[in-house]
Amino acid sequence: MLDEKIVIAKHIHKSFGDNEVLKDVSLSVHSGEVVVMIGPSGSGKSTFLRTLNGLETIDKGQVMVNGQLLYDKKVNLNQVRQNIGMVFQHFNLFPNMTILNNVIMAAISTKHFTPEKARQEAKKYLDMVDLSEKMNSYPAQLSGGQKQRVAIARALEMEPKIMLFDEPTSALDPEMVGDVLEVMQQLAQNGMTMIIVTHEMGFAKRVADRVVFFSDGMIQESGTPEEVFDRPASPRTQGFLERVLNV
Amino acid sequence: MKFVVKLVSAIIAMVSLAILVPPHKAQAASHYTIGTETTFVPYAIQGKDGTYNGKHPGIDMEILRAIAKNQHFTFDLKIMNFAAIVQALQSGQVDGNMAAMMVTPERQQTLDFSHTYLNAGLSLATKPGSSIKSYKDLKGKIVAVKTGSTSETYATSIQNKYGFTIHHLDSTNTEINDVTTGNADAAIDATLSLQYTIKNGMKLRLIGTQQNVHPVAFAVKKGENAALLQKFNKGLANIKKDGTYAKIMAYYTGAKAHTNANIATDRSYLGIIKANAPQFKAGITMTIKLTIVSIIIATIVGVFIGLFGVVPSRLLKGFHGVYTFIFRSIPVMVLSFFIYMGIPSLIGHKIPLFTAGVATLVLENSAYIASFVAGGIKSVDRGQMEASRSLGVTYLASMRKVIMPQAVRTMAPSFINQFIIALKGTSILSAIGLAEMTQQGTIIISQNMEGFKVWLIITAMYLVLIGCLTLLSDRVQKHYSLAN
Repeated sequence: MLDEKIVIAKHIHKSFGDNEVLKDVSLSVHSGEVVVMIGPSGSGKSTFLRTLNGLETIDKGQVMVNGQLLYDKKVNLNQVRQNIGMVFQHFNLFPNMTILNNVIMAAISTKHFTPEKARQEAKKYLDMVDLSEKMNSYPAQLSGGQKQRVAIARALEMEPKIMLFDEPTSALDPEMVGDVLEVMQQLAQNGMTMIIVTHEMGFAKRVADRVVFFSDGMIQESGTPEEVFDRPASPRTQGFLERVLNV
Repeated sequence: MKFVVKLVSAIIAMVSLAILVPPHKAQAASHYTIGTETTFVPYAIQGKDGTYNGKHPGIDMEILRAIAKNQHFTFDLKIMNFAAIVQALQSGQVDGNMAAMMVTPERQQTLDFSHTYLNAGLSLATKPGSSIKSYKDLKGKIVAVKTGSTSETYATSIQNKYGFTIHHLDSTNTEINDVTTGNADAAIDATLSLQYTIKNGMKLRLIGTQQNVHPVAFAVKKGENAALLQKFNKGLANIKKDGTYAKIMAYYTGAKAHTNANIATDRSYLGIIKANAPQFKAGITMTIKLTIVSIIIATIVGVFIGLFGVVPSRLLKGFHGVYTFIFRSIPVMVLSFFIYMGIPSLIGHKIPLFTAGVATLVLENSAYIASFVAGGIKSVDRGQMEASRSLGVTYLASMRKVIMPQAVRTMAPSFINQFIIALKGTSILSAIGLAEMTQQGTIIISQNMEGFKVWLIITAMYLVLIGCLTLLSDRVQKHYSLAN
């Protein structure tokens, strides 16, 4: 099962002005794999995640997702992105649309589904995140946790092959975090390829196939949760984990 | 610098052309456009409908009519402020100028004049009880004159000698009003005109008549329209011979001279409204027409140029920047003069008055709209575009479905504001002679001299119109926000 490489990022460099935030980052992810990226704020993990669907420009390197080169001028980025779901820290639901329309907008706009089919599918995903009764509400009427679950349903509606999560629980009240993580765990169990930036160490331990530790724009260490959490090799990882876990 | 001028001209020309009725090339030689003044009694007396089509439109208009008939040519009239006519002549907006214009050496530098059709002198006019008995009493006083007129030149030339200050006003009526309201102590204007006004009930006293006499003649741009000038001269000679000329002069200046029909009418507010209903109505209609057409076009243009300000293209962003800077900076009146008087000399044909008015309002208001449209779009959280793009939705579709609906809500109050500004802005177009509400007010006052009452009526009309617009906008906005 873990044979096909669905994401291949090679030697990514990226600077914001004089500040080099990604220094030669390479990462490959197999189909069905769950990769959790941890590390201090400003270490470049979110920026790296955003390069995986072309939301950031890069200075050097290559990203291949699903067999297509993202930073190639000839590639149709809109089409590539239909295979890559993304969930943001601040949900970014469309406040001008109902929950249902949030979920079906892209599928209809990109002609991924007919409107009827889109609605059917949306109901399925909203059921999955346990929010089908909120279908006709607007985002402003939902709690943070509910919003993030809608955002997940919205991404799933496009039937992506990969899901990217950019600190999906960082903006949530603590009591909301559990519901969102539960949905993500369920996705992982169903075999979704997932790349997750998070500070939820417990979740990382439970769900990740591989944990990647970012620091100073580089991948310092990568391995199974046991390897990284229990026997960290790099002193930077050790320092980070001590600070995070002993709070 | 040259480049900027060229760019501005090009932009204005483009927008003007876009809403221009297809330009008619110089029509058959026997049809002319003649410039004349907003009411200058007894030379030009506008009818209730704001035109000179009535039975007794004044000396100038009757002479012109008789000559045209005699020489078999036809003409359209362009009605504007006296000072604007010479500019219009220079720019080619009009072929000739029939506006009781006195022949002076300065004017002969740029204009060719016909044979004299009458001689006109100036008088000093004061209120009947005034202490001013001669020019010597003008020390420290204020004298009102009409901008661009011979009276102005004369007043300026004797100003130091007698030690008075000059008020420059845009028409004989405002100048006389200035005296009757006490803003000015005296006015200098054409004797004939002042006499006619007095005959029509204005309480003024003349000091001296026919001073500084000048011949009055028809004018064309120097070196151009010689054929028209020739026809005028020939026609003038003919109507002098056949008695038509004498009849006209007697009608307006004789002992039993014509008086304005407005004199004996009811001077209550209701009476003024009733007596001038067609003018008020024409004014309101024109104001509404101008506002609606301008708002619609300005919104479309403004939204597009606003979008230019946010799309990822340096060229379009630059265009947005230049456009909004220029048209937010130019005062509306200057812009209207530039389009109506300036552009024709640049592109070589006339611009219809309504088109020029609409172009002015569109350029000005679309620049403001473009600014707040761009601002409104930028105020939408960046994450909204990212979320939509991350789903594979194209840039344009994201704009349309996600960004614009959110931006429009923040823009709605600015739009309403802009529409109100556009409505009020129509009044400035009276400067180029558009017969909208303000211009009609000027014309009505020129006939009945009831400045205060008429301006109050006009003010009330603006309040009602803007009230309606506000109400309508509120409705639309409420409907829209309920839908969300």
